[in-house]
Amino acid sequence: MRNYLRLLTIFYKNTLVGELEYRLNFWANLALSLFWLTWAALSVRVYFFHTDTIAGWSYPEMLIVMGLFFFMNGYRQMVPEPNLSRLSEYVRMGTLDYILTKPVDSQFLISLRHIGVYNWGDPILGLGLAAYALWRLGRVPGPDQILLFVVLCVAGMVLLYSFSLILQTPTIWLVNVERVDAVVQGLLETGRFPIQFFRGWIRGMLTLIFPIAFMTTFPAQALLGQLNWGTAAAAIGLATLLFTLSSIFWRFALRYYTGASS
Amino acid sequence: MRRLMRVYKALLQTAWATAVEYRAQAFLWILSSIFPLVMMVVWLAIVDEAGPLAGWGRADFISYYVGAAVVYQFTFVWSTWQWDEDIRTGNLSVKLLKPLDPFHYLFSEQIGWKVFTLLFIVPVVMVIAWLSPAIQYPLSLGRAAAFALSVIAALVLAMLMSCTFGVLAFWSTQVSNLYQLWIGVGSFLSGWIAPLALFPASIRQVAYLLPFRSTLGLPMEILMGRLAWPEIGFGFAVTCGWCVVFLVLYRILWRAGLKRYEAVGA
Repeated sequence: MRNYLRLLTIFYKNTLVGELEYRLNFWANLALSLFWLTWAALSVRVYFFHTDTIAGWSYPEMLIVMGLFFFMNGYRQMVPEPNLSRLSEYVRMGTLDYILTKPVDSQFLISLRHIGVYNWGDPILGLGLAAYALWRLGRVPGPDQILLFVVLCVAGMVLLYSFSLILQTPTIWLVNVERVDAVVQGLLETGRFPIQFFRGWIRGMLTLIFPIAFMTTFPAQALLGQLNWGTAAAAIGLATLLFTLSSIFWRFALRYYTGASS
Repeated sequence: MRRLMRVYKALLQTAWATAVEYRAQAFLWILSSIFPLVMMVVWLAIVDEAGPLAGWGRADFISYYVGAAVVYQFTFVWSTWQWDEDIRTGNLSVKLLKPLDPFHYLFSEQIGWKVFTLLFIVPVVMVIAWLSPAIQYPLSLGRAAAFALSVIAALVLAMLMSCTFGVLAFWSTQVSNLYQLWIGVGSFLSGWIAPLALFPASIRQVAYLLPFRSTLGLPMEILMGRLAWPEIGFGFAVTCGWCVVFLVLYRILWRAGLKRYEAVGA
């Protein structure tokens, strides 16, 4: 475990130093994040010219969900996307051969070797927006609600990662799975809004099959004090299940990997 | 040997162009297919709760967003990214050897892509419209012609805006970010986020005078049959005015930029 942490420090340090060297880009990226966050908050505002609540959600409450969407999407651009979208390259170039010979777990290396720092502003600003919305509501979540929120966020991040890995793993057979990251991004887009806005089978799918509801709506409801520990238990269960499945699937796929040179 | 190198250069450039296009494609696909549908779903939730808004019911929202997603495919232009790469990498030098303004190459590329989209997307939409009775566009022959003309005008204007931002790359490395800001602001005032009819009157009046509405809102409002002929005429006048403004801006910036341009390695 300590070994793995040491590896991560080495991996990420260089990327961070590299990013900080281009100061103009660094600030431009932050400014852009802030712009798109404001854009998103205002785009939701249009709805509220015509109504006070949508499916029981007021404007500030909806901003919490929007903030968490930025948090999750920023996380996606930092970890799952930069790593998993390289898988096709690994298979084509034979890099996967090297990865498999390293004395470290292969799933660890393909999932965490890289970090995308260009969009580091999104997660922080997203949490900031959620905090601002809570302040506008005049609401201070209790320590148990914050704990619930943290648990749900972590479960959401694990779910997002496992889901991406399962979609990306067929690369081993197909070599070039076209734009799987775009599919994940497209699905996550629905997380801009509370799950209650969707109806019928779409809501069911976004809760259980593509568990987007666990990524933005449920953590937001935790902060609003509308959730109990039952949902958290479901989230932990689902996250463990999906993570285990993705891990088994990855190992299963590797059995069919024949290497680039053989 | 030299011949081989030339062949390789051509090949690499084509590969590079495809890659760039591909990236823009994914961006386009996400923004254009998922986002409007999500926005639509939320409007439908509101209409179900509160009834029609400012005369807009369920069917209107569905027709609007499906139509907007299609029209967007024809009026979104990604030439700014190509200008940015060309100027930064020095690739522009190659294009300068050709006898025409690079604008024409980029424009024909966009037109080719749009024609391809037309062949691909129109049958799909016709099937969707046939399956979903909610989608209806009350079109007469004259209005259909006005709609087609407004889409073409929208493409020309979008192309001119995109290239005006593109040639700014002679001076700045942040052009693609600038253009993103422009598109971001534009998506409010063009009718992309929501039909302009649902904005407060003060915002709407400003939007009618800015170039963004011409690239999406105007064709959509014509398609939905919500404009009288004088209003259509006014919309076209605004579109033409902005086309002239951006054409002049583009030409001035292009000439000034070319004087500054020193290719990498030259």
